[in-house]
Amino acid sequence: MQLTDMQLDALREMANVGSGNAATALAGMLGCPVDLSVPSAAVLALADAVEAVGSPDAEVTAVALPVFGEIEAIVLLTFKPEHARQLCGFLGIEYDADPEMALSALGEIGNILGSAYINALGAMCGMALEPSPPQTATDMLGAIVASVLASAAASNDMTLLLDSALMLEQGGECEFGFLFVPNENGVAEVLGRLGLWGHEAA
Amino acid sequence: MVRMAEFAASQHPGDVLVSLGLGSCIGVALLEDSHRVAALAHVVLPNSGDAPAVDNAAKFADTAVPLLVNEVIRLGVARSRIWAVMVGGAQMFALGGATLDIGRRNDASVKRALDSARIPVRATVTGGTVGRTVRVYVGQGRVTCKEAGGPELDVITSERMGLARAA
Repeated sequence: MQLTDMQLDALREMANVGSGNAATALAGMLGCPVDLSVPSAAVLALADAVEAVGSPDAEVTAVALPVFGEIEAIVLLTFKPEHARQLCGFLGIEYDADPEMALSALGEIGNILGSAYINALGAMCGMALEPSPPQTATDMLGAIVASVLASAAASNDMTLLLDSALMLEQGGECEFGFLFVPNENGVAEVLGRLGLWGHEAA
Repeated sequence: MVRMAEFAASQHPGDVLVSLGLGSCIGVALLEDSHRVAALAHVVLPNSGDAPAVDNAAKFADTAVPLLVNEVIRLGVARSRIWAVMVGGAQMFALGGATLDIGRRNDASVKRALDSARIPVRATVTGGTVGRTVRVYVGQGRVTCKEAGGPELDVITSERMGLARAA
């Protein structure tokens, strides 16, 4: 998979709209402002992709949201453990007192953010997309990201990463990563809808 | 460092081959009785036949195992002396659909490939729902596994195998 600068720009803009929508949803949920980093879009070899997200042996709490419909993809949110605690605190849940409840709450946040993201994406591209129930895990970043990439990586050694970060402005530092990983057909489909795939891209 | 879909083989004592954070991926380590040579592949997917093109043999279980065996033989080891250790193959998320339990399929596919290459598997730490880091200590016949937040534990050592440590 090789993408032109124009295609990457389009995907980056799509990630921007998607994560902007997700930030708005989160701000509404928490009642506080949420900042958004400029998303990055890159096509990377599998070996480089994990490290582009973070240190492979760092512990993270992750929420994965499989997306089905006209394209298949996975939305992945990653939180540093202390930021996961902080976010749960915003919702009035003490992480250490009730980890199961906390993970469920983070899953729900993932659900809301992921749905906001793919709704924006679907509207932009005119596609019907459906999120599946969120799954949570706390483990090494490498294990989590690699497993998500593996599920999208069957046909190609290169993978598309759309990466953004959301930051809460209140109550100290609390930010998390937001990853959108379409399978390869998904990339072609999205770019096709934007008129940027195949002969149309020339 | 052996990252996703990469492999390495070494005959330098003191080298440590590492795959950090294996989830559904499998670290396949090949060692041999004299502990001179060791190799490690970071397998991502079970079957190269599922992909329209194989651009990287180390990515798939069925192509990575022969590749790795040939590397070890190329470094002067007889096939009959090679043995394997497997780490990884967990299910990090119950994602369902086409992504159904890649870890378990990787596990089965690596075992099958080792079997058809006539390489015995001496130890495995696979399955479950936890990520793992594998380290292969070249020249020592030692493989370790570390889970998130846990200690580095021996999967296999030359002592435990009752084998003489290489000089």
